[in-house]
Amino acid sequence: MDLNEPESSADGLQPQPSDPGASVTRSVSRGKLVMGAVLAIIVVGGLYLINRYWIKPALMTQANGGGEHPEAPAISLTDIEGKRLDLSDYKGKVVVLDFWATWCAPCREEIPGFVEMQEKYASQGFSVIGVSMDDEPGPVVEFYKEFKMNYPVAVGNPRIGELYGGILGLPTTFLIGRDGRIYAKHTGGVNPALIEEEVQQLLAMSPNAERIDFKPALLVGTTTKVELGDPAAIDSEIPGLNLTKLTAEQKDTLKKQLSEQHCPCGCNLTLLKCRQVDRACQISLKLAREQMEKILKSGAGG
Amino acid sequence: MITKTFLGLLLPLVVVSTAVWAQAPGEVVKAKVTMAQGVARPDSIVKAAVEVEVLPGYHINDHHPTLDYLIPTEVKLDPIKEVTGKNIIYPKGELRKFAFSDTPLSVYEGKVQVEVALQLDRKALPGDYEVKGKLAYQACNDHACLPPTSVPLSFPFKVARHGD
Repeated sequence: MDLNEPESSADGLQPQPSDPGASVTRSVSRGKLVMGAVLAIIVVGGLYLINRYWIKPALMTQANGGGEHPEAPAISLTDIEGKRLDLSDYKGKVVVLDFWATWCAPCREEIPGFVEMQEKYASQGFSVIGVSMDDEPGPVVEFYKEFKMNYPVAVGNPRIGELYGGILGLPTTFLIGRDGRIYAKHTGGVNPALIEEEVQQLLAMSPNAERIDFKPALLVGTTTKVELGDPAAIDSEIPGLNLTKLTAEQKDTLKKQLSEQHCPCGCNLTLLKCRQVDRACQISLKLAREQMEKILKSGAGG
Repeated sequence: MITKTFLGLLLPLVVVSTAVWAQAPGEVVKAKVTMAQGVARPDSIVKAAVEVEVLPGYHINDHHPTLDYLIPTEVKLDPIKEVTGKNIIYPKGELRKFAFSDTPLSVYEGKVQVEVALQLDRKALPGDYEVKGKLAYQACNDHACLPPTSVPLSFPFKVARHGD
């Protein structure tokens, strides 16, 4: 009997009873079915494992920044009512840290939602903190009153923006857990219901343990990777440049070179001065970094 | 079949990855000055055009924005004694509706032009001059806004002698 003989019906599921080889064929077909089932289980199991350990963490990583929840950089400001505003005082609470400005239409749209959230969840250990990126407090105070803001608001500064990775678009909202870690970052206006969903998850977490199964309400759109600034570069004598790898002589060489070059950004200053007075200038930052890299590579000045 | 299933599973991942909205740092507005004439006489008018180009997907506010809290687009000039007056004509903005606002906003998108006219002093001495200035603007896209910033501008011209 030829076991390779083609089967009489599709998939060999209906062998002819009169066929003397039918029982063998049936047993071969059953074997194929079992193998198929095993293969299917392997495939489904494999896909589950791929999803569980590869795709899902990849999406979480994308939303949360390296799959880790970095510690929120310290903020110490005076709020618009003249009170001290220290982020460290909020440890144990869930915080929505909102970088905004009065001239920013999408920021203004979000604020009534934050006022509602503050009202609803403050008793559960929650607070919104507003850091305005306006140049002056006047319009902020006016807005605060007009919109009946019920949470602390302070006027920020470029250094705070840099510590939080550079606030390139407003609004930028960070969700901070009870453990003081950043769980999500949204750049641009977000539906308040989605922020609320994330707040509810964070409110449910233990104050002492990092909640690793935090699920961002948004995986696409405005959810962006959390990348914090380098304090050594932010607090440097040449803002934006981490000078810790340079020797004292190399630092002097760099400063000398930067003070001899004109910044082409239109400020009419040297590169060094531009860095010192306009931390946001990307042109002087790029050129100064290039100069520093050259010195580091050549070993000049040291 | 496995390959197809696998690819089918990966495809949404690829779509999700590329759909993540990112905002690049750097400028979203370019501006160029074109002088109508390089040489002018004392007590005459020097005309120039500021060509403004806004990156696709972004807008900047009209010089007369719809809402009072919005920062207007403005050409600002540093004074020099040879220029006694100026007239700046801004284009009319386009009314656009954005996801973040129920009110349509008057904005500039794409390419627009601002006309600048400088009145020269009748006592202006012959020579080369430059009026420096900037285009101040505040840009947004459909989701977020960038901080107010500016592009430097330069208006170079030559004052000729009366008889030249």
